[in-house]
Amino acid sequence: MEVPSAITTRNLRKVYRVKKRLSLIKSREEVVEALKGISFEVRYGEIVGLLGPNGAGKTTTIKIISTLLIPDAGEAYVDGYDVVRQANEVRKRIGLMLTVEKGFYGKLTGKENLEYFAALYGLSRSEAERRINHLIKVLELDKLGAVDKLFEEYSLGMKARLSIARALLKNSPVLLLDEPTLGLDPPSARKIRELVKSLAREEGKAVLYTTHNMFEAELVCDKILLINKGLIVAEGTPDELKSKIPKLRVITITVRNGERVKIEEALAPLVTTYTVTSNEFGETTVKVSTKSPEEILGEVIRALVACGCDISSVRIEEPTLEDVFIYFSQ
Amino acid sequence: MWFVEILRAEYKLVYAEMFRRKSMLVMMFLYPYVLTGFTLFIGYSFGSKQVFVERTGVAPEIFMITASFIILSMLASIDDMIWKPLMDLWHGTLPYIIASPVSRVMLYAAIPIPRLTAVIIIGSTSIIPVYALYYGLNGLLTSLIIIGLASLGAVFMITPAMVITGLVNTVGESWRVINVIRPVFMILLGAYYPRILMPIAGLIASYALPPSHIVELIQAFLRNAASTLNTLSLIGIATALFVIYAPGGSRSILLWERKKVKEGVKYD
Repeated sequence: MEVPSAITTRNLRKVYRVKKRLSLIKSREEVVEALKGISFEVRYGEIVGLLGPNGAGKTTTIKIISTLLIPDAGEAYVDGYDVVRQANEVRKRIGLMLTVEKGFYGKLTGKENLEYFAALYGLSRSEAERRINHLIKVLELDKLGAVDKLFEEYSLGMKARLSIARALLKNSPVLLLDEPTLGLDPPSARKIRELVKSLAREEGKAVLYTTHNMFEAELVCDKILLINKGLIVAEGTPDELKSKIPKLRVITITVRNGERVKIEEALAPLVTTYTVTSNEFGETTVKVSTKSPEEILGEVIRALVACGCDISSVRIEEPTLEDVFIYFSQ
Repeated sequence: MWFVEILRAEYKLVYAEMFRRKSMLVMMFLYPYVLTGFTLFIGYSFGSKQVFVERTGVAPEIFMITASFIILSMLASIDDMIWKPLMDLWHGTLPYIIASPVSRVMLYAAIPIPRLTAVIIIGSTSIIPVYALYYGLNGLLTSLIIIGLASLGAVFMITPAMVITGLVNTVGESWRVINVIRPVFMILLGAYYPRILMPIAGLIASYALPPSHIVELIQAFLRNAASTLNTLSLIGIATALFVIYAPGGSRSILLWERKKVKEGVKYD
């Protein structure tokens, strides 16, 4: 029997009708096409990043999958259950983290807040106690002194950890995390990234992760969906996405004992775009721009060695995910 | 079992708000006296105490402190139920509640119960001392019976409160709605304004509210006019109405939720 995907969406569409006030009396209805037919899959043990500029449709997608919004057309399934027709089954299977700053009761402590949501999730008192204590340890809320502190006195880092603790309360197989590290200090952001990765790798959870942070997406996600104006414009692993953009990559070679003129003469028949610069320490840096560095790297190194250079270092600079993001967002 | 856990959670939430927000705690004890003081001031300004006693058969101080206590107890259900989704919207907890598998009927049934139990506390600090002052030891017993009846009336308010909460929030979520609903129900319950004096439309609306029958019973009890038949029939009517409202209550809440997810639950 085939195991269903953790999340499946097929041709999801959503249109918002927004009333725009023109004057005291007049208003005009504006139609915003948030999703124009989005299809993707997330498998168990996989972290899929949803990347895109503001208004691209990331939050709308998360809302539909988490049963907080009904799509106008298309289908979405979580663990094989329809998000519209079987919303309650879907709700049993998702762990949700929507915002870092809000989402808890200010006059309750962190632990009391978790107990409240554990009750809503149908956990028995003993099970809730066990899960909460475990999560407090894993997320180091005890070390931060956040367990018995009122939520209204929490720092942003504490709020984020508590928020992810709630998402993990019922040990759901599917996690939906909407910008979970937004505005966090580096240690908290790192903690959350590491935790999310271990949840997917060790516990086989499926994670849908939205972020604006390219570095983070590259670090955390197995697969990235680039979404723009309601459409998925590119998808693949970070490396696959980088290879899709027509950007020249740069080979940087540092050599010693090289004469600049000889180097230039040696490179001229091999490559068209290159620079050769020398510094006062007798080092010469050769930069070659090319679409396929793997094809010419050997020939370039042989040419440099032939003209008496000692190779100190070789580096190929890849396009960053940010380049990919900007390229596909335009 | 699940209901017990939800109830426990609601207790913790409400009592944390109550005890950690000192102003709320103080006002909870002061409200019956404030309301009584206000109504007595109006009453003494325009009418005579003697006429009031002749018409109602009860001293105005006793009538008003009882009416204030009844109103605070019975409106707790409707207040809490309308207020909770708005509070959740404000705290940003609403999407997590909607995206949880909790039974909406269980949740909304549990929401007013913590405050209803606080009714006993409010009663012990308002009507018990006043009754004891006026009627001595006998008054203590009478006040305990009234607290019991008012609590029953407050429980009977749960299902109509669910109907109203769903409908009101479907039409428009606003804090201001509570300020409209509250005075309407203050009148319709008949605590300050005996329903026998109401115009026909008000009388019909009042009869449709289960706790208004309990209010009538309390007033009869204060006048020593509550026969066994009268007591049983009023409690019977209130119970029947409570049951009749139940299916509408759950449908009304689901109607509001369906509207929310159609528009998209906001959290940013």
